[in-house]
Amino acid sequence: MRQKLKRKRQELINKDFSPKRWQEANQIEELMNPGHFACPGCGGALAMRYALKALGKNTIVVIPACCWSIIDGPFPLHCLKVPLYHTAFETAAIMASGIKAGLEIQGKGDISVLAFAGDGGTADIGIQALSGACERNDDIIYACYDNEAYMNTGIQRSSATPLFAWTTTTPEGTPKGEPKKNMVEIVAAHRIPYTATCSVGFPEDMIAKFKKAKEIRGLKYIHIYAPCPTGWRMAPDLMIKVACLAVETCLFPLYEIEEGIRYKINYFPKEKLPVRDYIRIQGRFSHLREREIELIQKKVDFEWDLLKKRAGLSGG
Amino acid sequence: MARNFKEMKEADYPICAISLETTLLNKTGTWRIFRPRYENKLPPCQDACPAGEDIQRYIYLASKRDYEEGYRTILERNPFPAITGRVCFHPCEDACNRKEYDEPIGIHNIERFLGDYGLKNVEKKEKRKKPEEKRRVAIIGSGPAGLACAYYLSREGIGVEVFEKERLPGGLLRTGIPAYRLPKNILDKEIEKLEKNGVKFITNTTFGKDLTLDVLLEKFSAVFLAIGAQKERDLEIPQEEQKGVLEGIAFLRSVNLGKGVHLGKRVLVIGGGNTAVDCARVAKRLGRITTLLYRRTKQEMPASPEEVAEAEKEGVKIEFLIAPVKVLLTRQKTVKGLECLRMKLGAPDSSGRRRPIPIKGSNFTIPADTIIKAIGEVVELESIPAELEKTEWGIKTDIWGNTNKKNILAGGDCVTGPRTVVAAIAAGRRTAEKIRFDLGMKEKLSDEDKREPVRFAQLNTFYFEKQPQVKMPQIEKRGRETFKEINLGYKEEELLTEAGRCFSCGVCNRCDNCYVFCPDLSVKKLEDGYEFDYDYCKGCGICAAECPRSAITMYPEGEI
Amino acid sequence: MKLEAITGTKKVVTGNHAVSYGVLLSRAQVIAAYPITPQTQIVELLSEFCATGLLKAKFIKVESEHSAMSACVGAAISGVRAFTATSAHGLALMHEMLHWAVGARLPIVVANVNRAMGPGWSVWTDQNDSLSQRDVGMIQLYCESNQEVLDTVIQAFKIGEKVLLPVMVILDAFVLSHTSEPVDIPSQEMVDNFLPPYKPQHYLNIEHPASYGGLTNPDHYFEIRIKIEMAHRAALKVAEEVDKEFQEKFGRGYGLVEPVNCDDAKVIIVTSGTITGTAREVIDKERRKGRKVGLLKIRLFRPTPRERIREILTRAEKIAVIDRNISFGHSGIFAQEIKSILYNEPRRPPIFNFIIGLGGRDVRPEDIEEIIDYVFKKDQPTEDFTLRGVRL
Repeated sequence: MRQKLKRKRQELINKDFSPKRWQEANQIEELMNPGHFACPGCGGALAMRYALKALGKNTIVVIPACCWSIIDGPFPLHCLKVPLYHTAFETAAIMASGIKAGLEIQGKGDISVLAFAGDGGTADIGIQALSGACERNDDIIYACYDNEAYMNTGIQRSSATPLFAWTTTTPEGTPKGEPKKNMVEIVAAHRIPYTATCSVGFPEDMIAKFKKAKEIRGLKYIHIYAPCPTGWRMAPDLMIKVACLAVETCLFPLYEIEEGIRYKINYFPKEKLPVRDYIRIQGRFSHLREREIELIQKKVDFEWDLLKKRAGLSGG
Repeated sequence: MARNFKEMKEADYPICAISLETTLLNKTGTWRIFRPRYENKLPPCQDACPAGEDIQRYIYLASKRDYEEGYRTILERNPFPAITGRVCFHPCEDACNRKEYDEPIGIHNIERFLGDYGLKNVEKKEKRKKPEEKRRVAIIGSGPAGLACAYYLSREGIGVEVFEKERLPGGLLRTGIPAYRLPKNILDKEIEKLEKNGVKFITNTTFGKDLTLDVLLEKFSAVFLAIGAQKERDLEIPQEEQKGVLEGIAFLRSVNLGKGVHLGKRVLVIGGGNTAVDCARVAKRLGRITTLLYRRTKQEMPASPEEVAEAEKEGVKIEFLIAPVKVLLTRQKTVKGLECLRMKLGAPDSSGRRRPIPIKGSNFTIPADTIIKAIGEVVELESIPAELEKTEWGIKTDIWGNTNKKNILAGGDCVTGPRTVVAAIAAGRRTAEKIRFDLGMKEKLSDEDKREPVRFAQLNTFYFEKQPQVKMPQIEKRGRETFKEINLGYKEEELLTEAGRCFSCGVCNRCDNCYVFCPDLSVKKLEDGYEFDYDYCKGCGICAAECPRSAITMYPEGEI
Repeated sequence: MKLEAITGTKKVVTGNHAVSYGVLLSRAQVIAAYPITPQTQIVELLSEFCATGLLKAKFIKVESEHSAMSACVGAAISGVRAFTATSAHGLALMHEMLHWAVGARLPIVVANVNRAMGPGWSVWTDQNDSLSQRDVGMIQLYCESNQEVLDTVIQAFKIGEKVLLPVMVILDAFVLSHTSEPVDIPSQEMVDNFLPPYKPQHYLNIEHPASYGGLTNPDHYFEIRIKIEMAHRAALKVAEEVDKEFQEKFGRGYGLVEPVNCDDAKVIIVTSGTITGTAREVIDKERRKGRKVGLLKIRLFRPTPRERIREILTRAEKIAVIDRNISFGHSGIFAQEIKSILYNEPRRPPIFNFIIGLGGRDVRPEDIEEIIDYVFKKDQPTEDFTLRGVRL
C-alpha cells in the first residue's frame, strides 16, 4: 500500500499539470535564424522551423523554385543552420535522390536529405521527378508545404488550389473550377513506406511525423498544410487559426498511410466544425455563394467519410 | 568576405553563389507596422473578488506545487484563506471565464487547500513578533473586518488591541457560521496568527458600556469600529416577541458558543438568506423537523445556491411563496403554529427580483413549536456613538473607512449593512492601509485598479480540453447528523488537476504558445518569461492571436 | 567478370562500350542515365559493371534525362564523381540542367552520342544536338575514333575536376557508337596513376552549412558568371597539359586541334568527328595527286583554341569548313566559329562552308573530293554556305 502511494506521488511529481506545449522540442536547438524574408505570418517558414526541429543538424535541405528560394535570403545570406541546395523548379525529388546517392556511396548515409518543395513544384511541374523517386523508393524525405497556389511568382493557380478559390490566374468571374489534386493519394498509390499529412497548427503532431519519417528507409512523403496570409487574402495573425480550422472542419485531415495501404487517422475533432467557418475568414473565398459553400461541405463530408472507411478497413 | 562589394576582388568571389553569411544581418524588424507587447491584464476573478486577491497568481503557483508562495500571495489581500476557503460565496467563480466554456474553476476549494496548507506548514515557521509600544491602534469587534485590520497592522509592527464583547474572538465567524461550515479549531488557528504578531484580545468587553471613544482615543492613535450588524430584523407580525420565536443570529450564537437552546420538535425558519439556511441546517442537526419558509421562489433566494442544495440534501423542507401573518400561541403562551399566506410573484421591485404579492384569502396554518426569524440583519444603531454620522445602513465613511471624526474609522457590516466575510476582510485591509498612511508609515495610498477585466470573448480557447470542475469531496448524507465539517478538502492530485484548468486570463503563464508559433523566431525564452526580439519581429500578430489568455497586445508601431 | 580480365588489354569494342570502359576505369561513383537510342549500350554495360560489383557506383535509374542530369548535379554537389550519357532529344531535355551544372561549377562528364533531332525521328548522326548546347558553358570534345572516345572520357574527368566545369564527350551515332574497332583498354592501375580520386572543392558540408545558388542580384551575378569564362580560359591550358600527360603515361595524345599537312597547304579543310577519319584518306589522295591540301581536326570545341586555330589557318590560301550541322537562318556552326576567330586577323583567307551529312546521310570520300575541287576552282565563296549531297 505504501509502495503504491509512493509510486503515485512520484507520478504526480513527474506530471506537469500546467498548460504547456512542446516540452521536449523546447530542448532542441533551433536550426533556423530570424531575419529571413518570408511575409509576416508565413506558414511555410513555420513549417521549415518544425521540420528541422524534428530532423536535427544532420540534414541537407533541397529547395526548388518556390517561396523558400526567397525566404532563405539572397546571396550571400542564409537563414538555416544546415546546408541548403537551391535547385531547378521540377527537380526537388531527383536532386535529393542524387545527393542521397552521393552521400551513401561515401558512407555518409546517416545524413537525412529533405526535399522541401511547394505545391506547384510537387503537384505540377515536379510530379514526374516525384513519381520517379517514389517508384525507385529513394531514401529521402519529401515534404510539400502546400500554400495552394504559385505564391512566389504572384499567387497563380496550381493544381493544388482548391475549388472556387480566387488566384491571379483564376480571377474574379472565373474562380478555379477544378478540385484540388490529391497528391497524398497519388503518392500513396506508389506504395511508398510512409505518407503523412500535417498542419502547422499542430506542431507536436508534425514534429512527431518528421521524427518517425527520419527512422524509416525509403521514400517518405509528408504533405504540410501551410497557409499563406498574403495569397489567401487574410490578416497575417489568422494563419494558425486557419491551419487549425482546416483540420477541425475535416477539410484537411491529419492521417498517415503506411506502405500506401494502411490508413491511420491521427486526429478526430471533438466537434466537426462547418466548412463555412474556414471559408468565411479567407478573402480568396469572399465571392463564394451559399450553394458553392454547400457543395464544398458535401465534398468535405464525402472525403472524410471515405477516409474513415479506409482507415476502418485497415484497422487504423 | 568584405562587406563593401566595391572593394571585392576576384579571389573574394566564390566560384558559385555559396551563401555563408547568416540572415541575422537582415533586421526584419523594420518591416513592422504593428508591434506586440507582453501586457498582463486584469483577470475577471481578481476583479470580482472584493478583497482583490491575485487569484491567477496563487492558482499558478499551486499548479507548480509552490503552495507556500501561493499561500503568501493570498495573505497579501486576505489573511484567512482557510476561513474564506470555507465560507466565502466566491463571486470570483461567478465571474470566472471558464464558466462560459464548461465549468468555472473551483477557486474557493483551491483557496481552502492553500489556507489549510499554510496553517499546517507555513505558519509554524513564522517567528513571534513584539510590536512597538509607540503606535497602538484599538479595534472594536473581532469579526472578519476587525481581525483583518488587526493582521495588517500588526504585520507592520503596530501594536493592536482588539476588544470583543463575546467570550471568544471571531465575531460572526465564531457565533454565526455553524461548525459544519467553519470548524472552530480552524478559526482558532487563524486567530493564533494574530497573537503571534503581538495582537492582544480583550474579550467580554462591550463597546459603549465598558469603553467609550474618548477613552480609547487617549490611549490609542486610532480606533477602528468593526462591530458588525447583529440585530435581526423584525417580522412585524403579532406575537413575534413571544418566547419560542427566536432571532436567527442569536440562535446560532447560542449553539456555536455551546450554550443551551430550547428548541421545540417542529421548527420553522423564516427567511431566504444564508442566515436562514444556516439556522435550518443547524436545527436539522439538532434533530428537529425543520421547514424553511420563503416568500419568493428558489431563484430569488439570496442564499448561496450551494447552501440551499446542501440544506435540501440534509432533509430540510423548503416551502416557497409563503409569508408569515401571525404567530399562533397555546393557552400557555407557547408557540403552537404560524398562520401563513400564500404569495404569487408580480413585477420586479427595486432589487430586481419579482415582488411577492399576497393571494387574498389563502391563509393557512403550519403547526410548529419554535419559529426562528432570519429575514435579514441590521446594525444596532443605538450602539453607534452619537457623534458619528450615520447612513440608513450604518456608520457613514469614505472609501478608506474614515468617519467624520478624526482617527476614528469604521468598516465591515456596521458601515454597509450585512454583507459577506470577504467584503469585511477587504474593508479591514483598506482601513489598515489608511491607518498606516495616517501614522506616516506609508508613502501613499494605493490606487484603485481601474482596468477592464478580460472577458471570455478575448480568449482563444482552442487550446483547452473540455473538463468538468473537480468536485469537492463531501461527507455523504449519513454523516450529516453531527456538526463535523462536511467538505473534506481537495487531495493534492485533485488540487493539481483543478489548478491546471485555470485559463490564467490576461496573465502570461508560460504556456509557450507565442514561442512555438512565431514564424520569425522572434520570441526569446527567458528564465522567467519571454521577450520579443524587436530586431526581427515582423508584427504578424500570430503570437497575440494564439495567446490563449490575451496576455499580448498589438500596438501600432511608433505608438509606444 | 574480373576487372583484370577485361582491362589492361586490347579489345574490339563499339564506341558506346568504349565510353563504358572509360567510365569504369575513371571510378565514377554515381551514374544516372535514361535510355535513348543510340546511347543505350553505354548504360547497359555500366549497369552490368555496377551489378557485378566491378564498379562501386550507385546507378540511379531515372525517369527522364532532365532528372538524369539533376541527379548528377545532386551527386556531384554531395562530393562524388558523377556521369551521365545521352543523345539528341535527351540532351535537349536536359538543357536546363546543363546550364545548372555549369553555374554550379560541377565537374560532371556527359557522354553525348551525336544524333539528329526530330521530327521526323532520326537515330543517325549529325551534330545539331551537341552544338545547340554550345552556349551553356560546358567543355565540348569531339572524338574521331573509339580509342579516342575511351581516352577522352578519362581525360574529361581530369580536366573537369581541375577547372570545375562539366565536360561533354561527343561521339557520332552508329558510325562510332555501334561500330566496333580495336581499342586499347588501359589497366585500372594506369588510370589510377593518371586520375586521382575526386576531391571536391565545394560540397554540401554539415560542419559548415551554407546555401548554394540563392538569389543573386545584379551586384554579384556578373562577377560570379565571369569566373566561368576565366575557368574556360584556364581550361585551354589544362586540357593541353592533361593531354600531354596522357601522352606520356599512355603513349597516346590527341591535342586540342590536330593539323594534318597544314604547313604548306593551300587549302585547309576543317572537320570534326568521324568525317575527319574520311578526310584523312582524301588528303593523302590529294597530296598524291599533287594538290597541297591540309586538314585541321577540331577536337576541343569549347573553349575554342583560338590561338592555335588562327596560327594554323592564317597560313592557308583558302579554308573549307565542313559542317555536319546547320544553324538555321545563318550557316554551319563550325564555319561561324572559324570566321569569327579569323575576322580581326590581318591575313584572313576566304572561308568556304559546306553543310553535309545531316541526319546521318553518308559522307563518302568522293563528297570530300568534290568539296576540295569546288574550293580549288573558286577564288571566293559566292554564298555563306554550300549544301552538298542534298537533292534540293
